[in-house]
Amino acid sequence: MTSLKRSHASTTPTTTLSSKTYLRTLKSGKVQKIVRELYLRQDIPCSSQLCTACLDLAPAGFHRKTEPFVLSATPSGTKEYPEGHYLVPDTNAFLSAMDLFESEGGVFQDVIVLQTVLEEVKNRSLPLYNRLIALTKNEGKRFYVFFNDFRLETYVQREAGETINDRNDRAVRKGCAWYAEHLQQAVKARKSARCPAVVMLSDDKDCLRKAKKEGIKSSNLQDYVSGLPDADRLLDMVASAREQRVTKESKAELLYPDYLSISAMLTGVKNATLHQGIFNVSPYNYLEGTVNVPSFDRALIIQGRESSNRAVSGDVVVIEILPTDQWKAPSSKVIEEEDVGKNENAENEDDAPEGIVSEQERRALQEEVRKTHGRSTEGQSQPTAKVVGIIKRNWRQYVGHIDKDSVRSRAKESRAQQTVFLIPMDKRVPKIRVRTRQAGDLLGKRVLVSIDSWDRESRYPVGHFIRSLGELETKGAETEALLLEWDVQYRPFPKTVLDCLPAEGHDWKVPASLEDPGWQGRRDLRDLLVCSIDPPGCVDIDDALHAKQLPNGNFEVGVHIADVSHFVKPNNAMDKEASLRGTTVYLVDKRIDMLPMLLGTDLCSLKPYVERYAFSVIWEVNANADIVSSTFTKSVIRSREAFSYEAAQLRIDDRSQQDDLTNGMRQLMMLSKKLRAKRMAAGALNLASPEVRVEAESETSDPVDVKTKALLDTNQLVEEFMLLANISVAGKIYDAFPQTALLRRHAAPPKTNFEELSNQLKVKSGLELRTDSSKALADSLDICTDPNEPFFNTLIRILATRCMMSAEYFCSGTQAYPEFRHYGLASEIYTHFTSPIRRYADLEAHRQLAAAIDYETLDASLQSRSKLEAVCKNINVRHRNAQMAGRASVEYYVGQALKGRVLEEDGFVMKIFSNGFVVFVPRFGIEGLIRLRDMAGDGEREPDSLFDAENYFLEIKGEKVQRKVELFQKVKVKISDEAEESTGKRKIKLQLV
Amino acid sequence: MAPYTNIPLSPAELSYLHTSLSQQPPLRPDGRSPTQFRPLIAETDILPSANGSARICFADGTEAIVGVKAEVEKSRLAHTVPSNGEAAGQGVLGLGKGSARDVGDEMDVEGDESGGKGRDAWLEVAIEIPGMRDDDALPVFLSAMLTEALLADGGLKDRLWINSRFHWRLYIDILLHSQALSYPLPLLSLTTHLALLSTRLPALVSEKDEDPLFNDDWEASTYLYPPTTTTQHQKPPVTLLVMSVGATILFDPSKQELAVADSVLAISAAQSSTGELRMVALRTIDPPSRLTAAGVPNVLNTTTGATGAQTLSAADVLAMREKDQGQSVWRPPRGGVPRALVAKMIKMVVERGGVGEEVMEGLANVET
Repeated sequence: MTSLKRSHASTTPTTTLSSKTYLRTLKSGKVQKIVRELYLRQDIPCSSQLCTACLDLAPAGFHRKTEPFVLSATPSGTKEYPEGHYLVPDTNAFLSAMDLFESEGGVFQDVIVLQTVLEEVKNRSLPLYNRLIALTKNEGKRFYVFFNDFRLETYVQREAGETINDRNDRAVRKGCAWYAEHLQQAVKARKSARCPAVVMLSDDKDCLRKAKKEGIKSSNLQDYVSGLPDADRLLDMVASAREQRVTKESKAELLYPDYLSISAMLTGVKNATLHQGIFNVSPYNYLEGTVNVPSFDRALIIQGRESSNRAVSGDVVVIEILPTDQWKAPSSKVIEEEDVGKNENAENEDDAPEGIVSEQERRALQEEVRKTHGRSTEGQSQPTAKVVGIIKRNWRQYVGHIDKDSVRSRAKESRAQQTVFLIPMDKRVPKIRVRTRQAGDLLGKRVLVSIDSWDRESRYPVGHFIRSLGELETKGAETEALLLEWDVQYRPFPKTVLDCLPAEGHDWKVPASLEDPGWQGRRDLRDLLVCSIDPPGCVDIDDALHAKQLPNGNFEVGVHIADVSHFVKPNNAMDKEASLRGTTVYLVDKRIDMLPMLLGTDLCSLKPYVERYAFSVIWEVNANADIVSSTFTKSVIRSREAFSYEAAQLRIDDRSQQDDLTNGMRQLMMLSKKLRAKRMAAGALNLASPEVRVEAESETSDPVDVKTKALLDTNQLVEEFMLLANISVAGKIYDAFPQTALLRRHAAPPKTNFEELSNQLKVKSGLELRTDSSKALADSLDICTDPNEPFFNTLIRILATRCMMSAEYFCSGTQAYPEFRHYGLASEIYTHFTSPIRRYADLEAHRQLAAAIDYETLDASLQSRSKLEAVCKNINVRHRNAQMAGRASVEYYVGQALKGRVLEEDGFVMKIFSNGFVVFVPRFGIEGLIRLRDMAGDGEREPDSLFDAENYFLEIKGEKVQRKVELFQKVKVKISDEAEESTGKRKIKLQLV
Repeated sequence: MAPYTNIPLSPAELSYLHTSLSQQPPLRPDGRSPTQFRPLIAETDILPSANGSARICFADGTEAIVGVKAEVEKSRLAHTVPSNGEAAGQGVLGLGKGSARDVGDEMDVEGDESGGKGRDAWLEVAIEIPGMRDDDALPVFLSAMLTEALLADGGLKDRLWINSRFHWRLYIDILLHSQALSYPLPLLSLTTHLALLSTRLPALVSEKDEDPLFNDDWEASTYLYPPTTTTQHQKPPVTLLVMSVGATILFDPSKQELAVADSVLAISAAQSSTGELRMVALRTIDPPSRLTAAGVPNVLNTTTGATGAQTLSAADVLAMREKDQGQSVWRPPRGGVPRALVAKMIKMVVERGGVGEEVMEGLANVET
C-alpha cells in the first residue's frame, strides 16, 4: 500500500512544499481546522542594490520587467553601525512607533518589512497597516516588503507548543539572519568592503535576548533612536515602552477594575446580561457618558471614571447594568475637565498613588447625588451601567494643546524629558499623558498626539507626540486641526488618481461628431434652454434646469445633472479615492474636493455657454405639478446661463424680461411652489439649523462679518426639483435593483427623543408638541409660535431638529420597504442623485441609473450587497464628519470675526443646568455656556442658586446678581473673546447683561 | 447479509473446510494459528483537514478510510427535552426494543447524573459502502453495531462535553474503499479505533459556561484519547469478529472460513483507564454458512447409483438427512452457540495478554 499522505511534514532544505495548520473560530461559533499548503520559492529577491545574484533571479512582472530594487547600496550609518544598516522592525515596533517610521529627514530609510510583520500589523490594526502600505509605496523612504514566508530559506514552521507570537518572532530573526548572510555573500561577490548591517528592531526582551544568542544584530527602539541625530524629537514619537512602566508596576496601585475576558463578554452579550454599544461622552459633563444599546430604547448612563473604566469616547464597549440603588438621574450640571482637574501633576511617579477620582471630582459627584436624592422624583432616576470590557478601541490621533500647568520647566533649551498633559480639542476625550523632551517648544502650539495605552494603574491614558501643527489660533494650524479632528483627507490627490483624468485636460470638449462613441446612447438636448441656479461664486455646478410648455398644455421639466460617472469609472484609482473621501468638505475659506479640480470645476461642471455631458431626468407634468411621465437619459446640454440665487430671483421678478429662458424659470417657479405645497401637505418637515455665512475679505480671507443665510424663493425652486429628481431616480433604481439600490432613509425618531422638548414646551409655553407622525409634528411645529418673538419658532425648530435621527445611506436589500421612508421629506423612497461632483453616493446612484436604463452594464461592485454596505457605512461617516468640520470651521471664523470686539446681542436660553445655562445667539449662530461661576467677580464665591429641574428655571441669588433665568427666555448677552489663562487659547465668552 | 451468501464452494469443499477447521489444532486454509490476524497496513492522519483520520488495508485487498470531524454545538438544556419522543426516536436504528441503547437513552432523559455528562446523540456514525445505499441493511446494521460499542464505553460521549451549554458533536465517517469481500465489520472497527486514537479536539481557552473559545494553534489541541507512555489509559473500543467451528474458536475469519462457521460473534472490547479490557457489546451474527446448500448423501444421490431416491417418500428423505447430521455430507449449521463457548470467546478477547490487547497494542504502534 502506498501512503496517501502528502509529505508536508518532511520539509527539507530542498522541498518546496509545506503546509501550515491552524484553527479558526467562525462567528457562528464553529471551529474549523484550516490546512494551508505552501509552495515555497527561491526566486524572491532581497531587493538590495548590492546584490547581483537576486537581480538575475527576480521573476519578471506583468510588463516583463523586474521591479527595480529598493534598498540602497549605501544605506546611511550610525555610530553603532558605521558601515550602514538595513532595519528589520518587528510588529510591535510598527504598532508602537509608526509615526517614527513616517518621520522625514533621512532617518528610518532602507527598511525591510517582513511579510510576517506586515500580516501581523494588518491583523492588529487596519489603519496602521494602511499607513505602512503607504510607506512602502513612498519611494524616498525605501521600504521593501520581503515575502519571507514564501521564500524557502526563511520559511519557519510552527513548532509544537510554540505560540504564534513566538513563531513570528522566530521568523523575524530567521529573516534577519538570512539577510545578513545573503548580504555578506553579495558583498563578497562585488569585492566591496562595506557590508551593511541588518538590524532587528524590537521591544521584546525575550526576542532581543534570543537574537543576541543567535548572533543577530538587534536593538530596542529606545536605544536605536537615541543613537540617531535629532534624537530628542524622534524619541517623543516612541510610545513609552511597556518595560519602563513595568518597573513601577509593583508598587502602583491598580486604579481600575480589570476587563472581562473576550469570551465572557461575548457570552454575556449573547445572553443579554451584558450589552454592547458605542461609548459617548456628554459634551457638557466629561464624567458622564451614555451608551445606546439595542435592547433598550433609551441610552444607559455611565457616570464617573470608575464606571467608564478607561473607555474613551467612541470605543465599542460592553457594559453591565448597575443595581437599582445606584441608578441616577442624568447630570444637570456642567463639569469640565479643565476646571476640575486643573492642578494635577502629570509626573505622578513620585507622588502618592493617585486615585481615579480626584478630590474635586469626588465633591462634584457628591453634590450630584445630593441633588438627585433631594428631588425625590423617582421617575427621574435612570438606569446606570458600568463598562466591563472593550470590544474595540476607536482611538485615533487627537489634536490638542499642552496644559501649561503640567509643564515643569519652560525653558526652551531644557531637554529633560518630562511628562505633560495634553488637553484634546474634543472635550469628550480625557487628558493624555505624554512624555516629551520638547515641552518648552510645544507650549502654545496645536499638537497631534495618539493614545498608546491606558493601563489599570494610570488615571489617564498614555500617548505620544506626533507632530506640531503650528501656533495656536493661526489659521493654518486651526484649519489643519479641524480637518484632522474630523478625519478629512486633505492631502493633494496622488499621481495615480490624476492619471485617471482625461488626457486632454482643460481642452476636453464634447466630441463634435455624433458618430463618436461618447455620443452613443446620448440624447442631444443642446437646443433646450437650460440654466443653472447656484450660490454666488459656485464653480462646481452639479445641476441645471429647464422647463417649457408643451402643446397639450402640460409642461416639460428637465433636471440635468453633471455626468460624473462618464469620467469616473468604477474601481480605478480615482474612484477609490473618491469613495474614500465620500464627499467634498466645505470650510469657510477652503474646499476639500472629492474629485480632482479638473473634473469638479471644469469638465463635469455644467458651466454656461459650453457643451457638457449630463444625466437628465425629464418629466411631463400637468399644471397641477402632477407627474404624467418621466424619462431618464444620458444627454448633452448647453447651459444658457449660470445664475446666482439672487440674480435668478431678480430676473424672475423683473416683469420686463419676457424671453423664453426667463419664462421657463417662471414656470419652474410656479411648479415648484405647487410641489412644495404638496410636500408640506404630505407632512414634510420644515426644519431649521443655525446657518450663518462668514463674509471674508477677498484678499486676505480674513473674516469681516458674519451674516445669517437668507433664503430666497429660488433656493426653494432648486431644492424642490432636486428632491423630485432624487425621488424619481430612487424609484427607478429600486425597481431595477431591488436588492442593491443605494438609497437614503431618514428613520422616524423614537418618541422618547422628543419627550424632553415636548415637556419643556408644555411647562414653559403651554404648547403641545405632537410627534405621532411627521405630519403631526410639522403641524404642531407650525403653531409653536410666540407672537412677541418671531425667532421663537425657529428656536423650537432647531431644538426639534436635534431630536431627530440623522438620515443615512443604505443598501435597499438591508431594510424592508416600509423602512425606506424619509421622515423629514415625507417621501416613501429617496436617494441622492443630484450632486455627483461633491457626493460619492450620487455617483453610485448615477451608475445604477445608467444600468437601469440599459446605458451600460452595472459594475460588479454595485451588485454586491456587502460591498455596497461598506460603501454606505463609509459615506455616512464621511458625510457627518464633513458637516461637523464645516460647522467647526464656521465656528472658528465667527470667533475670529469677533476677535477683539465686544458686542451685545439677543440670545435665547436653550438648556439649563444647575450651575449654568446655554445661550444661543441667532445673529452669529453660536451657542455658549454661561456658568454661575463666571458671574461672580474675581475671588468671589459662586453665587447661590436655586435650580428647578421640573419648571426649567434657575434662580440666581448672588450678592450682585439677583435674577431668574428660564428656558427659552430671551436674554441680552455680551459677547467678547477671552484668552484662556491655562492654555492661551482664545474662546468666545458670553456674559449675561 | 446478501453479498456473502454466494459462496463459490461446493458442499464437498465446505465439508472439507469444516472438518479441517474442527481439528485440534485447526488447519486454517492460509495456515494461520486460531488467534492469528492477517497482516494489515495502517496509517493515520491521512486527511489533513479532519480532526482525526485513519486508513487500514487488509491483506485480502479490502480497505477502509475513516474521518472524524468535531463540531461545536449548543446543548439543549435537559429540561427542554421532551420526556419521551425525542430520545426514543433518536437513533435506535431499527435494532428493536430491549437493546442496551434504548435503556441508556431513557436513563439519560430521566436523570442526567446517572448517564454522565454526555449524550448519545452527540455521536454520529455514517458508513459508506460502494454499491450500496446508505439505508441498505448492511451499512445501517454495521453503523448500529459500531455506535453501540462506542456509546457503551461511556467515556467517549463524556469527553465531548465542553460546558453545560456546549458540546462537541462528533461525526465519524467511514468509507469502505474497496468491494466488500468479506464481512467488513472488523476492518471498519479497527479503522475507526485508529482514527479515534488520532483525533484531536481544539484546546479550550474560555472558562466555565462561557461561549467556547479555542486556541488557534492546532499543535495545542488535545487528543480525544490522550496517549500516555504506559498502556494504562482509556482507548476506544474495537469490535472483533470471532467464529466457532465445533469447539474451535477462530479470530479474524476469512471469507471461506465464515462460509462454514457454526456461529459468529462480534465482540466489542474497550480499554478502561486501568488498562484492563472490558467487553462493551456483544452481538451474534447470522453466519453465511446457514444459507449454503446442503450436500446430498450417497444413498440419495442418483448420480452415484442410488435407487432409493425414487422409492423413498419425502418424509423418509428428510429423516435420512437428519440422521446423517452432517457426518457424511455437508449440512448448514443450525442452532445457537453454547454458553460455555461464548464465555470462552469473550475471555479470549478480554483477558490479559488476550487477543484484544494484542490488537490494540498493534494499532497503538501505528506511526502517524
